[in-house]
Amino acid sequence: MNPKRCAACKYLRRRCPKDCIFSPYFPPSDPDKFSCIHRIYGAGNVSKMLQQLPVQTRAEAVESLSFEARCRVQDPVYGCVGIISLLQTQIQKTQTLLAKTQAEIAVAQTKHSQHTYL
Amino acid sequence: MSGGGNTITPMGGGGCGGRSSGSGGTSGGGGGGPCGACKFLRRKCVPGCIFAPYFDSEQGSAYFAAVHKVFGASNVSKLLLHIPVHRRSDAVVTICYEAQARIRDPIYGCVAHIFALQQQVVNLQAEVSYVQAHLASLELPDPQTRPPPPPQSQPQSLFFTPPPLSTTDLAASVSPLPSTYDLASTFDHAASPSSWATQQRRFVDPRHQYGRSLSSSSATVGLAGGNSDLEALAHELLHRQGSPPPTTTDDSPSRTMSR
Repeated sequence: MNPKRCAACKYLRRRCPKDCIFSPYFPPSDPDKFSCIHRIYGAGNVSKMLQQLPVQTRAEAVESLSFEARCRVQDPVYGCVGIISLLQTQIQKTQTLLAKTQAEIAVAQTKHSQHTYL
Repeated sequence: MSGGGNTITPMGGGGCGGRSSGSGGTSGGGGGGPCGACKFLRRKCVPGCIFAPYFDSEQGSAYFAAVHKVFGASNVSKLLLHIPVHRRSDAVVTICYEAQARIRDPIYGCVAHIFALQQQVVNLQAEVSYVQAHLASLELPDPQTRPPPPPQSQPQSLFFTPPPLSTTDLAASVSPLPSTYDLASTFDHAASPSSWATQQRRFVDPRHQYGRSLSSSSATVGLAGGNSDLEALAHELLHRQGSPPPTTTDDSPSRTMSR
């Protein structure tokens, strides 16, 4: 048994075995991470998901699950989709600005060449 | 939103495959048979079933299968219970989207899409900076002035590709944890590491950047048209994923999404 329980086993109030699937990714120093994930996905689902992944990819999977869970907690209706929407809006605005600036460059170049010609 | 208005019609009704709520008798337990969720769970669909308005008996099972696999029926039920009724169909659509994204990409889920968009934003902003500098140089009286070099000089293209961000960079925006991982292998167009990578260690949460907070209130989302844009986006994202992934049960063949 792991004398220092991981955040997951602490939250679940159980012993933390040496081969605990959660312990590499949920250190006891950050209890909120697991509580958020547990609230949205549930410990069993997360455990199954991690078991189906290669060990070297589990850390990234946990981080992305944690991010999605936090988004969902903060915005229960839209979750991550809200961020996707913001990013798409930002992209549209930036594309507009880019097009506008390129048009201004074309005008400025025209004026510059006319000035040079004269 | 939902209710009889039928504003959410991704696949024929409210939510994922749900019929228009309040009509058609799909509120569960009636003559219409079990809803898609109860059909999948093989349980009796009681009147007032929380899933019934959003998962119809035809296509709803397939969508619910994904939701159940990722989130679990009880978690989704609890989530929906805390959401006002008129917002639940939106929530169901986004939950379906996230579930399907997670099944298709078990490591990153829909976060991969967020990364791709953020990368696009960064590229565009770099390009805007470059052209603005170019414009500034053209507007200067001295014609000898040259525009400053781009942040990453790539003679082949004006499109700069800063190194990709990591999941913990993303997570850092909502948690104080430092980023420790790199997703260099995630993006096909990932640039070679550069000093830019060491500078960009923190994902700027668009919510903070734009002073918007994501909540269930349409006003705080700040999009023109309130929730309608998000609704449309959520449905579009769900549609783009195509038919829901095949389930492991024996009665849920993959279905094509309506329209």
